[in-house]
Amino acid sequence: MNKKKLLIALAGNANVGKSVIFNHLTGLHQHIGNWPGKTVERAEGTLHFKGYTIDIIDLPGIYSLSTYSLEELVSRKYIAVERPDIVINVVDASVLERNLFFTLQLMELETPMVIALNQMDMAKSKGIQIDVKKLEKLLGIPIMPTVAVKGVGIAKLLEKAIETVEKKPAKRHPQVTYGEEVEGKIGKLMEKMKNVHFVYPPRYVAIKLLEGDEEIEREIRRIDPQIVAAAKKLAAEIESIHGHDCSTVITSERYEAAGCIVRAAQKLVSPIKPTRGERLHNFTTHKVTGYLTLVVAMLLIFYSIFTFGDYTSGLLSDVLYGLEPFFAGAFGTGIVGALIWGGVMEGLIAGITIVLPYIIPFYLILYFLENSGYLSRIAFLMDNIMHRMGLHGKTFIPIMLGFGCNVPACLGCRIMETQRERLLAAFVVTLVPCAAVTVIILGLVGDFLGIHWALALYIVDLLIIFALGRLAFKVVPGEPTALIMEMHDYRWPHMKTILKQTWFMVADFIKVAFPLIILGSFILKLADVTGVLEIAASVFSPITVVWLGLPAVTGITLVFGVLRKELALVMLAALLAPTGLAILTPLQMVVFTLVAMFYIPCIATIAALWRDFGWKKALFITVFEIAFAILVGGIAFRLLTLVT
Amino acid sequence: MEKRNSKSREVPLTALKAGESGIVKYVRFGHMRHGHMRHGHGRAWGFEKRLMDMGLTPGTRVTVVKSAPFLGPFEILVRGSRLALGRGIAQRIFVEVEQE
Repeated sequence: MNKKKLLIALAGNANVGKSVIFNHLTGLHQHIGNWPGKTVERAEGTLHFKGYTIDIIDLPGIYSLSTYSLEELVSRKYIAVERPDIVINVVDASVLERNLFFTLQLMELETPMVIALNQMDMAKSKGIQIDVKKLEKLLGIPIMPTVAVKGVGIAKLLEKAIETVEKKPAKRHPQVTYGEEVEGKIGKLMEKMKNVHFVYPPRYVAIKLLEGDEEIEREIRRIDPQIVAAAKKLAAEIESIHGHDCSTVITSERYEAAGCIVRAAQKLVSPIKPTRGERLHNFTTHKVTGYLTLVVAMLLIFYSIFTFGDYTSGLLSDVLYGLEPFFAGAFGTGIVGALIWGGVMEGLIAGITIVLPYIIPFYLILYFLENSGYLSRIAFLMDNIMHRMGLHGKTFIPIMLGFGCNVPACLGCRIMETQRERLLAAFVVTLVPCAAVTVIILGLVGDFLGIHWALALYIVDLLIIFALGRLAFKVVPGEPTALIMEMHDYRWPHMKTILKQTWFMVADFIKVAFPLIILGSFILKLADVTGVLEIAASVFSPITVVWLGLPAVTGITLVFGVLRKELALVMLAALLAPTGLAILTPLQMVVFTLVAMFYIPCIATIAALWRDFGWKKALFITVFEIAFAILVGGIAFRLLTLVT
Repeated sequence: MEKRNSKSREVPLTALKAGESGIVKYVRFGHMRHGHMRHGHGRAWGFEKRLMDMGLTPGTRVTVVKSAPFLGPFEILVRGSRLALGRGIAQRIFVEVEQE
């Protein structure tokens, strides 16, 4: 092994500036992906410093190292199993107590660490003064004060980290000393585990067993079930002494320890008048001005994403379709030419013109909202309404964006905390009528039957979304969602970080989704030129003609709608020439639109689902929605026939 | 709201008015005590643990800042940070109101 290699992990609460520090350190040498098999984001980067090749991993932002969320589990395992040479614990100086609560848990993992005491400027503006030397002494961990958004202290932080690694610190940090009863039980458990070798340090295991940590219990039970039984007994004893369960007692005492340190090292110099951030907070969460701001902000976001998207999309489309004659010249207009142009190139063009112009501005705005702190205020204001669907306030953002394009909306579901919430939100999002579906609604029903019919369809759609959302919430196992969220102080985000986050997310999306989009497009075209599609249409005819009462050609157009939904309408108009769409009865128009609204997320959306949730769930959602659309269309056909 | 008497009393967090403070006594998640029940992914105790991890441990002082309209979530201050808690959660946190 080359000893000039280092592995550094960044750990800390959410929104403390971890990713800003990560971006300062790693520049453009990063890779963002997911943890194997999880929807938890994993950011890695490499840098060279003082002759070292340093790999940096940015662990997810978390508040604790229990098993509340996947993020916590992933982080804890990473530190225990991968054993980074050093952990940089990023701490928000303006919310010191909560942050130290996490620091104390990291210390219990007995990993070498340094602390980046970040947001010193924010602490100062809140009238908080921290005695760094004293804090360092109390914790027994080297500390570097930083202001990450301004790049202050970053180089020194890295130097300090390397220095600490080179010094090979004594293995043990001083740790939290719990109350007498708890310490006694920890001692007893450690005694019992003398001969047990496990990835986590023995004291940590003892504490976690007393806390009833299920993952650790499971692992230890495999080694020696008696230890777990003993731990349960000891925990029950603590419970009877304190009247709270053991986990609560331990957490309280840990917080108490954090509080003690804070009281010793931190001084509140005159709580100065409300800061600008605080006034902004009050304004944006106020029952009147808050909602007004929200409406204005949403309209602005929606408008800017779609004006930009529409304009760029048109521009790109013109340029790319201008290439068609060259392709026709090079490959001819026969089957090969059709496959190359109509299959591969049109798939690529669909990807470039639909996806990129919308997801790039979307990511920029999403990261801006998240990093500045506004996202949490939106969640605060919208929680109640979303809650009725079993989702919490943050879901509002992806759902709103879904009206524009389902793709970024699905990807935006990652802002939810748990896997379950993400899946539920993504499911609801794929039912939201996107811009292309709106084209169908307005272009068919709106044009021929009048705007009130179009509106009625919209309302029906929203009601169905609401009902399905509730249903999914009931069916998918897991605990009910509830909002427990920190609203950190507003701050102006670090633009370079936002740009980089956007860049890496988009790059990752291209890598995963584009092959799928192109492949899907190619297969469709292949089916078309080989005549399979015609056969498919006749196979579908029991569904389209008998069950839905639509012309047989709609089968083909709906298949093409998978590529991009508005194609379903455009092709239908072409296939019904010379009369065009007018030949459809009003009833057929309504049924066709209903089916188009629900029947399948488009191929780019499926790719997005695949990327974030795996192919099984993507397939399930797709199949479910096809079945559901056919069901709804058929029912509507029969009901409306009765009425008219 | 009912009249304040001089004795301290235990009420759910949702009973506090904007600007009022209380000391957390306990969090009640009925079926989740003692960890007897079997559960799929072992996270039925998630909320309680999460609240503790966010600093709402017994004995901690919390201040209600406001609640969002239409029975929306509560904004509270705890340990120097600002939290938003869904109403359903806030109802399960019992606090002792300080004497006037």
